[in-house]
Parts: sequence; C-alpha cells; structure tokens
Amino acid sequence: MQDVESASAPLLSDAIDLGYLDPDQARFSQTPGGFLALNYKGADYPRVSVRRSLPLAMPNEYLSLADPEGKEIAILRDLSRLDADQRGLVEAELARRYYCPNVVDVKSVKDQLGYVYFELTVQGAGAPSARMCAVKDVNKNIRMLSDDDVIMFDVDGNRYRIPSLKALNAKSRKRLEPYLF
Amino acid sequence: MARFTRYCPEYMEDAFREQGVDAREILFAIHTDMDANGAHADAYAAVTADALLILTGEEAVTRMEGARRIVARFNARALETIPLKDIKELTNDRLVATGQLCAVNEDGSVRALLLYSVGFLGDAEKLAQTVKNIKAGSPPLQDVSVDADRFCPKCGHRYPESGHARCPRCMDKRSITLRLMGFFKLYRRKAFVVLAVMILGSAASIAVPQIGSRMLFDEVLTPGGSYFGMALAFVALIFLVRAVNVGLNMLYGYVLARTVPWIIYDLKMRIFEAMQRLSVGFYTSKRTGALMNRVNRDANNIYWFFVDGFPYLIVNGLTFAGVLTLMCVMSVKLSIVVMIAVPASVAFFRILWGFFKRFHHKNFVYGAQLNSMLSDSINGQRVIKAFAREEAEAKRFAEVGGKQAGVDVRMSNAAFTAFPLIYLFMFLGQVVVTMLGGVMVVNGELTLGSFLTFIAYLQMLYGPLEFMSWVSNWWARCVDSAQRVFEIIDAKPDVTEPERPAAVDGIRGDIVAKNVRFEYDPATPVLKGLDITVESGKMLGIVGKTGAGKSTLANLIARLYDVNEGEITIDGINVKDWPLAMLRGGIGIVSQDIYLFIGSIADNIRYANPGAGMEDVIRAAKAAAAHEFIMKLPDGYETRVGAGGQDLSGGEKQRLSIARTILQNPRILILDEATAAMDTETEAAIQASLAALSKNRTTIAIAHRLSTLRDADNLAVIEDGKVVETGNHRDLMTKMGAYFKLYKLQMEGLKVINMDAE
Repeated sequence: MQDVESASAPLLSDAIDLGYLDPDQARFSQTPGGFLALNYKGADYPRVSVRRSLPLAMPNEYLSLADPEGKEIAILRDLSRLDADQRGLVEAELARRYYCPNVVDVKSVKDQLGYVYFELTVQGAGAPSARMCAVKDVNKNIRMLSDDDVIMFDVDGNRYRIPSLKALNAKSRKRLEPYLF
Repeated sequence: MARFTRYCPEYMEDAFREQGVDAREILFAIHTDMDANGAHADAYAAVTADALLILTGEEAVTRMEGARRIVARFNARALETIPLKDIKELTNDRLVATGQLCAVNEDGSVRALLLYSVGFLGDAEKLAQTVKNIKAGSPPLQDVSVDADRFCPKCGHRYPESGHARCPRCMDKRSITLRLMGFFKLYRRKAFVVLAVMILGSAASIAVPQIGSRMLFDEVLTPGGSYFGMALAFVALIFLVRAVNVGLNMLYGYVLARTVPWIIYDLKMRIFEAMQRLSVGFYTSKRTGALMNRVNRDANNIYWFFVDGFPYLIVNGLTFAGVLTLMCVMSVKLSIVVMIAVPASVAFFRILWGFFKRFHHKNFVYGAQLNSMLSDSINGQRVIKAFAREEAEAKRFAEVGGKQAGVDVRMSNAAFTAFPLIYLFMFLGQVVVTMLGGVMVVNGELTLGSFLTFIAYLQMLYGPLEFMSWVSNWWARCVDSAQRVFEIIDAKPDVTEPERPAAVDGIRGDIVAKNVRFEYDPATPVLKGLDITVESGKMLGIVGKTGAGKSTLANLIARLYDVNEGEITIDGINVKDWPLAMLRGGIGIVSQDIYLFIGSIADNIRYANPGAGMEDVIRAAKAAAAHEFIMKLPDGYETRVGAGGQDLSGGEKQRLSIARTILQNPRILILDEATAAMDTETEAAIQASLAALSKNRTTIAIAHRLSTLRDADNLAVIEDGKVVETGNHRDLMTKMGAYFKLYKLQMEGLKVINMDAE
C-alpha cells in the first residue's frame, strides 16, 4: 500500500492539508483566568485546549490545538519545536488535561467481590500522596502498554501509570503481578 | 481521587471556622483533591448566600477504629472568597481524567477555579447547581454533605461506583448466602429431604470400613471373635451397606435434580423481571452492558455451586467430622499423628494450587482474547478480504495463540513436576501412620482390624480436606456472581411510575416543553434550555445538525429518560405524573434504530397490539409501503425475522417499524429520521402514508432532509441544545436565519447534481 504511486491518483498528502502549526507565528500565553491563550498568525484565541492524538505512544507529538467549541486551530507536530518557555505553558495545560500520576508504591491489593481495591502511593506534580482506588474488570482496566509499562483506570475514570515495572519495588511488583497480562 | 472514607462535614466546618468563616452560613460544600497544578491537595469549595469560598490545604488523616478514617487536623494554605455577585455562573469542564471548575464572570471573562480528579465531577456539578439556585433566588440544595449516595451509611466506606444500590463491602458473603438460601425457602421440604439423605449417606460411607475392615478382621476372621467364621454373612452385610449407600446417593441426586433447576428458574425470572423494570439509561451505560452479558454466566455459577459445591460441602464436612471422631475413639495416639501430617500436606497442596491458579487465569484471559479475535475476524471477513489483510489477521491470531500455548507449556511443566511431589508428600504422611500403627499392632496396642480401618479412614480424610481447601474459592465465585445478580434485582429504575398518577383517560396531544435541560453524562449537556410547543393534531418539524439533541427530545417526551431541569407537559400534565403505560401507549416513536424481535413479520407488526386481525396488519403494512416487499418473500407475512431469521435491508426494517407504529394507533406520533434510510422513491411512498397517518394526530417529525418536513405546520431549528428559530417555512425563509442557511445548503447540493447531469 505504501509504495503506490500512480499518475492519476493524487497522494493523500497533497489532497489533505494537516494544518501544522508554524511555531514562528505562534505565541502562547497564560490568561489571568488561568487558561492557555494563543496568538497565531495575528488571530487571538483567548482559550485554547491541547489534545493528544496519541496520548500513550507519542504524548508530545501531534498535539491538536482547538478553541472551546472544539474547532481545530492547528496541529503542533512536536512539542520540542517550541521554545522552552512556550513549551512550559503547553506542558502545564497538558498536565491538567491528562492528569495521570505515577504509582511509586503499592501498599495493598484486595480482591473483593469483583472489585480490586488498591492502596497506592502516587506521585503527581507535587509530593507523593496516598490514594485508594477500586478497579473493576482488571483485565480490561489494567493494561500493559509494553512489557514494562502499565496503565490503570479506576472506577471513577482516574488513570495511574507505572512507567517501569522493573523500577518499582519488589513487594509492589509482587502484589500487582496477578493482575498483569 | 476520593478516599473511601465517609465524608464528615464537621471537620470541614472547623477548617472554615479557623479561617474566620461562620460555618453556619455555609449552604453547600464539596471536597476535592488537587491544587491548580495537579499536585495533591485538599480543597474545600463552599457556598454561602453571597460568596463562594475556596479553601486549600492538607488534611492530616489518622486511622481510627477499624476502617473508618477521621480527620484530625486541616492545615490551611489559602482561603479565597469570591462574591457571588461577580459570578454569572459556574461551569465544569470534563478533561481526560480531571475536571475543572470555572467561573464565568459577569463581565463575560472566564476563570479557572479548581482542578479535581474526575470522580468529583458529580459533586462539582451540584456545587454549580447550588450557585445557580442561589442566584435565581430558589432554595439551594439542602444537604450540606453530598456524599450520601457515595458512601455506605453502614460501614462508612465509599461505594466503588456511585449509583450502587448496596455496598459490596457490607453485602458480606454471609448475608448474600443467607439471601441465596432464601430462594430455597419455597422448597423447604425437598431441601430437608436432601439434607437427611446426605447425612444418612455420610453415615453409611463411614460405616463401610467399620464393617469391612475392623469387624471383618477382628470379629469374623480372628478366632475367638464374636462372629468368627460367619464370613459369608459378613460379605453379604458389606454388600448391603454398600447397596444402601448407592440407593441413598440415587435418591439424593433425584431430589436435588428436581429442586435446584426450579430455584435457578426463580432466580432467572427475577433477574429478567428486574431488567424489564429498569430504565433505558441502565442499558445504555457501559457498566451494565457487561453486567447483562454476565447474567447467564452468573446464574450458572450459582447453579453449579448449589448442585455440586454446597451438597458436597455438607457431605464432606460431616464425613470429616465423623471420621476424625471415630479415629480418636480407636487410637488417640495415631490420631494425633494424623492431625499433624494431613493438614500439612493439604497446606502444601493449597500453596501449589494458588500458583496454578495464576497460570489458569492467564490461560483463561488469553483464551478469551482468542475467542473475541475469532468472532472479530468472522464478522469482519468482508473488510479483511477487501483490504487483503488475511495474512496480517492470521499473524495477529498466531501471536495471542502463541502466548496461550506458552502459558500452557509452563503450566503443564509445572504440573508434571509439582503434582507427583505433592502425592509423594501426602504418601509420606500415610507411611508414618502405617509405620507407627504397625508397631502398635505388633505390640498388641491395636488390633489388626482397627489398624486397617484406621488406614481406610485416613484415605477418607484427604478427599474432604482437599475439597475444603478450594471450595472457599468456589464459594467466593458464587457469592461474587450472586452479588452481581442482586445488584440488578436491587437496582432502582431512574424513571419510575408516579406515586399519585394523574386521573386521565387518554392523551389529547398538546405538548409543551419548557426550559428543558438534559445530560446523559455529567458535564456534557445535550439540551440546554429547550422550549417547544405543539398543539394537538398539529405537526412540528424539528431540524438541526446531528448531535443537536433532536432524538433526545423524543426520548424525553416518551419519558425514556427524565429531564434534569424544566418540564415537559402533555395536555398540561407533567409527563412525570402520567401513568407510564398510558403515556407510552399513547406515543408512537418511529426511530432510526429499529429492533425486530424473533418471530414472524406479522407478529412484529402486531407487537404493540397483539389482538389486531390480519386485515389490520396488511392495512398497516400497505400504509407503510411494506406490503409489496413482504409479498415477495416466500413465506409472506409468516417470514421469520430477528436474530437468525430473514435478512432485511435497513429500509425494509424501517418500513416494518412504521407499520408497527401505525397499528399502535398512538395520539402522538414521533418520527425520528423515520425515512432517512430509504431511497427517494420509497420515501415518497411512505411520506404519503405518513401524511395520511399524521392527520389529526400530534406529530413531531425530526429530520435531516428538509424535504421530509414539507407538511409541517410549524418548524423548529435546534442548535446546540436550544431552539434558535421557530415558524413555518415561509416565515423562516424570509427571516434568512439558520433555517434559510440549511435550506440553501441542501438546495445547492441538489443543484450541483443537476449540473453534473446536464
């Protein structure tokens, strides 16, 4: 499929413009109300949302910038193309939207009547904190993204990530083991 | 995210009091869990009559008696006071795993106030609602604590999911078992017979070694024994005891087989009835979709436990107790050895069993994956072939299949090494007992018969012990299933029959919707203050983009869901006060999603009106332009449709559903994109019959194509959950607004085609 090049059929890339953001013409800022604003090609967008196309595999690439109505302004191909301060603003917005603390310790796991209750220590933006969560249908809601990388969804819709199982302490790993596939 | 403790408003009040706020002024408050940057923090948001207070800081939590947690101290970091007069409204944005409370100020600017993890969204919505109520002058929500439906009042723990009818922690295994036993109540006599037979059976099996070993060797074969030489009679006795045992087993199986299926029937009927009672919302939520799939498996789990597990639990328990008692009577010394050796080997067995369970579980999950992949590829064959992806699919299948095979190999390897070892270990116990017993026989401390009986009993001990080592898992599974089943039985429907239904004898057909707001999921409103009026006998056409909330309106009028705010009245009476059956019987909905039940075409058309004669059925089919295609089918009106039946096209099914509604003869007709799936010619035919049908009937026609609505007396354009324009075609065209734009767009589309044709 990749190498089909015929004279008559135009390539998809010619027909559809992805609308990549030109970083030189974009200026992000933070509004007094606490939102991300964007000035792009002379137009002002007082409130911009940033959504990941591939939240798990490529969290910093193909970021869709949209206005509050969900209309896309542009796609930011790669976060690293922004200057450090600009990138910080977008990263903060991403952190708010895709809040997903890392699990640093699994204190207890209790399997009870179809729910698995976890007592966790998680690390978000600040200091580590204790969390309790309940997970239902573990083989659906605890997913191995790779051999080493785990994401969990609790009944409320909260997400927890274990970026590296190997880096987790042995006891925690052992407690999690029965629920990993 | 929330902790699973009961929310306690006193400590929150204390925290505010320390900040100089009079806690008595707080009308409503919530507790959330993050600061603005997503770091863990405790934040309280409270509303008084004139201000919104946001207090952030950390709770210092100490664990006290049992699982309940009590907050000892709150270390406040910041208190922010925002006068309500500056705020126009509070809104909540649902982000991915978080929500954000924002204030829309009176000057139109928006400010982010609080970030919280998504579990608090419902609470934050209530906060926004409270502010709205206060600003509108209506009474705020009364309860300061919003957690009543999220925390179990009995144990103080959070429900794993809100909307739970009961707390899974509190609904302990014992109470579920008692409730399951309740199903046996109706069959008390039979259950008693089963129990009696089982006890007799256990007694008989315990008696066998007594007669077959001890008495035979000590009394019959030993010179000087009481029955010395009566070998033949004894063999006959042994046979008799065995025969009684077998007879009892047969009787037991017979009685049980006649009882348990009816108990399961009761259970399934109750589940089914409960399901009929539940509202549409229950079925559309994802959670319950999975629940439904499980119902059958759950009922079976319960069935097998009660047929297989429970009786054997009693038999084995009795046998175990009986055997152990007899062993002690025969030789206390040997019994002590047994009591050490046997539990040790069982414990060993259990450890290994736990190890295997993990393999089994993985195996099961991979198996399930393979199954779903298989059905995926069967259902998707056309697409697979069209994209020439056969090989890739095979590879995908092979991957998971390989994983499963790998687990299988590991499991078998482990089994072939471990199980012989377990049996060797178990045998070791027996060897010790045999050795000791042998010495005792030689020393004359024990008779040969008693010794042999003892060995026989020893072997009878392993079975029950082994059984009991894993029956607890089985039981847990059964209780787990029962809990899900009870969850369905106990679930409360969202839409309920009014307590005092209005005294009405039928629908006339005046529909008024006033300021209707509705959302399926929190913070994603579909209707945002919608108003419509339809006079009895008139036709209202509703147009708008997909997702504008058109179909939702139909659902709300028929009360498949209840409005969140505002009201819908029919003939001046709130739909919530109409007797449900009369309301829904008087409203006919022809919608986009059509369901045909398994049965004949005629039965399907007659669904709402099973007494209708064949003439009426044909008349309805003709009116729906369905008669002709039905007659082309070899079995005509007797053609079987539904799952496994004749395949009908979307348009054909649609016509059957129109015929069904025509036969229902409702006072209010709602056509929700009724002709969207049809070709132009059929649509024209049906339009004609629908026009005839809607005469003198209140009709709401929802459509995408404006041509469908040409007979409407009045038109309403819905955009973003609100009516933006109303009037008849001519009014709206001269207005040059939203309707005009839609009309022009559709006309231009047609023009383009015409140009191409020329």
